[in-house]
Amino acid sequence: MRDEEIDEVLKAAARAPYGPKPELLKRVADSIKPSLRPVRPLPPNWAITGELVLVCAVVSCAGAARAGFFGFEKMDLLERLLVFPALILFAWLAGREFVHAMIPGSMRLISPGALLGFGSTALLGVFAFLFRDYRTDHFFSVGIVCLLTGFLHAIPAALLGWLLLRRGFAVNSVSAGLIAGVLGGLAGVGVLELHCPNFQASHVLVWHTAVLPLSGAAGALVAWTLRCRPQTRKQESAD
Amino acid sequence: MGPRVRFTAENDLHDYAGTDQDCKKSFEFMYTDRNLETLMTRYQQGDFGAAADLIERISPQLHRFFLAQSQSRTDADDLLQETWLRIHKVRHTYRPGEPALPWFYAIARHVRVDHYRKQIRTAAGERQLEAMSREAEAIPAESDNSANFEALLAPLAESQREVIEMLKVAGMSLEEVARATSSSVGSVKQKAHRAYKKLREVMRATGGRKGQSGEIL
Repeated sequence: MRDEEIDEVLKAAARAPYGPKPELLKRVADSIKPSLRPVRPLPPNWAITGELVLVCAVVSCAGAARAGFFGFEKMDLLERLLVFPALILFAWLAGREFVHAMIPGSMRLISPGALLGFGSTALLGVFAFLFRDYRTDHFFSVGIVCLLTGFLHAIPAALLGWLLLRRGFAVNSVSAGLIAGVLGGLAGVGVLELHCPNFQASHVLVWHTAVLPLSGAAGALVAWTLRCRPQTRKQESAD
Repeated sequence: MGPRVRFTAENDLHDYAGTDQDCKKSFEFMYTDRNLETLMTRYQQGDFGAAADLIERISPQLHRFFLAQSQSRTDADDLLQETWLRIHKVRHTYRPGEPALPWFYAIARHVRVDHYRKQIRTAAGERQLEAMSREAEAIPAESDNSANFEALLAPLAESQREVIEMLKVAGMSLEEVARATSSSVGSVKQKAHRAYKKLREVMRATGGRKGQSGEIL
């Protein structure tokens, strides 16, 4: 059987003898009429993406300003030129995907999981290329502090990003939460790169980069919980 | 969607060559005025006529979309109402000039997924499903085509059914389906290819014969 024949069968079968009842359509029209007011469309994608990147940069700089720019001061020019543009580029991509996740029917370039995977791998590549000190002094004790610092800065950045896009509508809230978490995580990594003077390769590769999957997972979990909560409440009230 | 409609309008206008210029202008106005994207923009501006026109034009497609998934007219009616309420609430997220159909379908798909999740979680889900199947059986004889379509798509996975429905019933392009389903064009192509492969197998197994209305005999 050829594809054209299947097309024909599908088209013939799809000819519905009835649609929704006119009374239903009238009811729908009447229900929206009282609240029909002009609305302001969202600003262009590039503008919202720029605002999200700015939020990340502000949170990173504010966090580092409070704790000190020791990492930035210790870095040489090549390290500064590679680490920060890579973070900004990643934040731009994450911000762009976040905007697309909040607007129905947007064309997605990459899935949130793939973005997290590729972005983290790219950052690992940059860090592995730049940091060649292979000692592992105080690996866990110092590492956990960095992970927590990064994560704690990821939370306000993700929340601010979410607030910025509150007028959007996530068709898949878990995927939007994941990207918001990744975006916040990038602000957290930014704080660590500006502040942390520990350039041991294992420390940077493991603990600094781990902020991204941790905050991404936290974002997805929060979104999933929020999505389940109203249903659980409704179910409880129905019971 | 925009360029496609414009192209059609241009073709139609071309057929009008040689007629009165005013007539051509009024035809152009009438055609672009009925364009989904234009209606959507007017709806955002608070035009009730445009909203009513959109409801009339999009609802049959969305209703069919829900019917293909739930097989219950009552459910499809409820989902349609819920979708329009959601569309109304988030109408500001539509960007003027962007294709409107993927935007509508992305929201409709979200409403359907929410409804499906709710059904799974509800303890009385099984009872509802039983009632739904009884209702589906009770759909009058005039819905033969509808039942055939659902029967045709029944062996497909939900994501494949959705893609076929959007491509063949709503007449959306691959890119529009990709937008509506938040996936890539490649993924849509793959789902459509797999769906056709499955349909071919099913049709071969059932003899591949079809009646006038397209039903598998």
